Amino acid sequence: MAKKKTTTRRRRSTKADREFISEAEEIVERMRNDLADLTDQCSGSGDVDPELLNGIFRSAHSLKALAGLFGFEPIQELAHRLEDILDGLRLGRVVLGMPALTLIEEAVNVFGSLLQRIGDSEALAEAGDQITDLSNRIETATQQASPEAGEFDSLDLDASLLRALTEYEEHRLRESLERGRHIVIVESTFEIISFEEGLSELSTAIREIGEVLSTLPAPGETPESQIRFSLLAATDLSLNELSSRLSFPSATVRSVCRARSSAEGTSDAAPPVQPVCEVAPEVPLQPVAHETVRDSENLQSLKSISDTVRVDIRKLDELMNLVGELVIQRGTLGDIVSSLLSDSKTARIGSDLSKVYKAFDRKLKGLQASVLDVRMVPLRQVFEKVSRVLRGLRRELDKTVRLEIRGADTELDKLIVEELVDPLMHTVRNALDHAIETPEERIAAGKDPEGCIKIEAFQRGNHVVIAVSDDGRGIDTARLRANAESRSLVGPDEVLTRQEMLDLVFLPGASTRDVVTETSGRGVGMDVVRSNVTALGGVVDIDSTPGRGTTISMTLPITLAIIQSLIVRVAGQRFAIPLNSVLETMLIEESDIQRSEGCEMINLRGDALPLRRLASEFELNESASDGREFVVVLGMGDLRIGLLVDSLEGQQDTVIKPIQGPIQTVDGIAGATELGDGDPVLVLDVASFVEDSSRGREAA
Amino acid sequence: MSDPGSSDGVDLGSQAWDDLARTARSTEDGDEQQEDLRQLLTFEVDSTPYAVPVERVREIVRIRPITPVPHVPKEVLGVISLRGEIVEVIDLRLRLALPPTDPVRSTRIIVVHTEDGKVAGILVDAVREVSRVAEDSIRPSTNSGTGSVEALCVRGDEFVSLMDLDRVLEIHAEH
Repeated sequence: MAKKKTTTRRRRSTKADREFISEAEEIVERMRNDLADLTDQCSGSGDVDPELLNGIFRSAHSLKALAGLFGFEPIQELAHRLEDILDGLRLGRVVLGMPALTLIEEAVNVFGSLLQRIGDSEALAEAGDQITDLSNRIETATQQASPEAGEFDSLDLDASLLRALTEYEEHRLRESLERGRHIVIVESTFEIISFEEGLSELSTAIREIGEVLSTLPAPGETPESQIRFSLLAATDLSLNELSSRLSFPSATVRSVCRARSSAEGTSDAAPPVQPVCEVAPEVPLQPVAHETVRDSENLQSLKSISDTVRVDIRKLDELMNLVGELVIQRGTLGDIVSSLLSDSKTARIGSDLSKVYKAFDRKLKGLQASVLDVRMVPLRQVFEKVSRVLRGLRRELDKTVRLEIRGADTELDKLIVEELVDPLMHTVRNALDHAIETPEERIAAGKDPEGCIKIEAFQRGNHVVIAVSDDGRGIDTARLRANAESRSLVGPDEVLTRQEMLDLVFLPGASTRDVVTETSGRGVGMDVVRSNVTALGGVVDIDSTPGRGTTISMTLPITLAIIQSLIVRVAGQRFAIPLNSVLETMLIEESDIQRSEGCEMINLRGDALPLRRLASEFELNESASDGREFVVVLGMGDLRIGLLVDSLEGQQDTVIKPIQGPIQTVDGIAGATELGDGDPVLVLDVASFVEDSSRGREAA
Repeated sequence: MSDPGSSDGVDLGSQAWDDLARTARSTEDGDEQQEDLRQLLTFEVDSTPYAVPVERVREIVRIRPITPVPHVPKEVLGVISLRGEIVEVIDLRLRLALPPTDPVRSTRIIVVHTEDGKVAGILVDAVREVSRVAEDSIRPSTNSGTGSVEALCVRGDEFVSLMDLDRVLEIHAEH
């Protein structure tokens, strides 16, 4: 019965929990490995690699920080204690032996079992006592007396040098002495201007034959342009061997071991002193902590709980690029196949090759789809982030608002999702601060006192639409206009349509507010939202009804990676147009074109479709028209325009690459692509064309 | 008549460039203890020698089709593809306010990068050689009209203009 309860609770772990678990697991796993190595070394030769201890220390530290970030206090607390004892071990304050190692092991095991029970608050509470007990024992072990002072009397070292050593360096010196290593001082003089380089070369040379314990500027007379350094080092070699093996011209080596200066014994000749390992290695390493964990869970702990791999997005980009290049090669291969097929002499080989080509094509499409799929992440994470912030703001602004989220499973390219957080946050804040009225105002307006903000995501063709709507007061266009007029962005006599009025929101500095708050109203916001979304190849639309509410929708491409493009030709030059924005293409006669206020348009099934000529947009020499032209109808969000081009050259898979050089952003160009013949082809930035056109009338 | 392309190291494909760079490096190792030397790639524009530090040169390629880019200043000729990377090409003649000419056999694109990682191709009339010059033979330039030359370097009886690449690549979009 109790067991069943546990499972249902476990299933309730949130996205944040899972994120924490996947990251924490990695850390705990690393600790486990390092600890195993450390235990081996300690019970074997007794010669312990200090980096292992440092590594475990760093892991404990990261775990503490991570647990703190996600608010898992028991784990944070235990990690903190662990950090203490590890620091003690690192500095030699605590004796490195089985008692300490057993405590660390216990802690690591507790972490492991805690991670499995995250989201199960009852089980976590049960573990509380166990953690406190373990923390106390670790604390006791940490506070053991540190070794005696005055131990370096046997060394021919300057007292000032000894004082300059950090606690850690001192500990390493002590360790080296215990292992019967030779302690030497290597001194060298460097030119001030290049001493960093020389010093690092010298350190590297020493590291090949021993350990650098400390690097200190050396006292003594030096010419002004030079600086002298003493490197305190420990080595298993004798002084003579050392001098001959250390091939560094300007360095002098001096032994500082008074007692052993004549002994040529290396550490394997003189048996290493082992005061550190007191317990036989076969002592069972799993006491207390594990007794409380049931056997089945014990087995489980060996398996990873989350089955995700965290990958650097740049690695995915690389993979994507490779696939992109393969796709381009496939195009070339296709051309070869068709030319072989068209000649009767080679038709046989052609048809064989064509079969191979088709199989290759299918596999490649599969590969392409899988790679794209790996990059896709659901919007849920972003939405949850937004809703967290919103909950905080709600309290601060004293408004009652409920947030409705729909379509959180809609997937988008990881890179786009990352870039979406800010614009989305801005939009939602605006809605909360500007749009939603206070409960009193709402009651007075006959509305539900509780406001509502809806975030909705859905896929539309090759785009994803994210709409943020509220049931607030709507945008006060008159005020918006007054604000724009006061800043001379709109003339007082200009006639604006309702939509054009609403679009004023996207002008920099636009505001309907007189009072600036922490949340918004400073006039930065919607223009930033628009430029962020535009940079991703998307558009922002706004719709608002006074008294009823506002909807802001962002339309974004699903991915920025491989896309299908329509290749067009204008004035002899080829351009690529991302196919996800092409609604249709058609052939028209010159006489179909109509004019209004100097703008060209055609009648597209009863609607006026504004036209833009690509040649004149890009100041290319217009080729002599034969009276027929192609129109590529582009659509983004709710906007439509027709682009006039000379000819259409078919569809191709393209990988959009950024342009490198002094001028990285060009109006109307999103990047460039290679089509297999080596010549770059520019890719149009459809969003900028469509948007320019919608604002074009004001500018004209 | 000898082929102008191969006689004096003008014809530098990327392979040749690698060899050259390697040779330059190995000769340097030979007399390491000598005074401070800088390695420069010398090239010609309008029959005048110019140079850039070799460590800023990524490769040298022959002239190839350049795709023009709209709305950019005229010295930006367009973009080329370097194994899939799209890189802008700047006509150094126009950048230095010199009269334009058509490409010739020896015309090359030197692909350079700035300290902050910006990459660009610069179109030059011919590539000459990689040479090592003593630091003390370099004099700061005081009268560079376009600000593109940062120093002059005495080579035998001629002056080689050392380019300030960061300035050369400082071109702003037209609006």
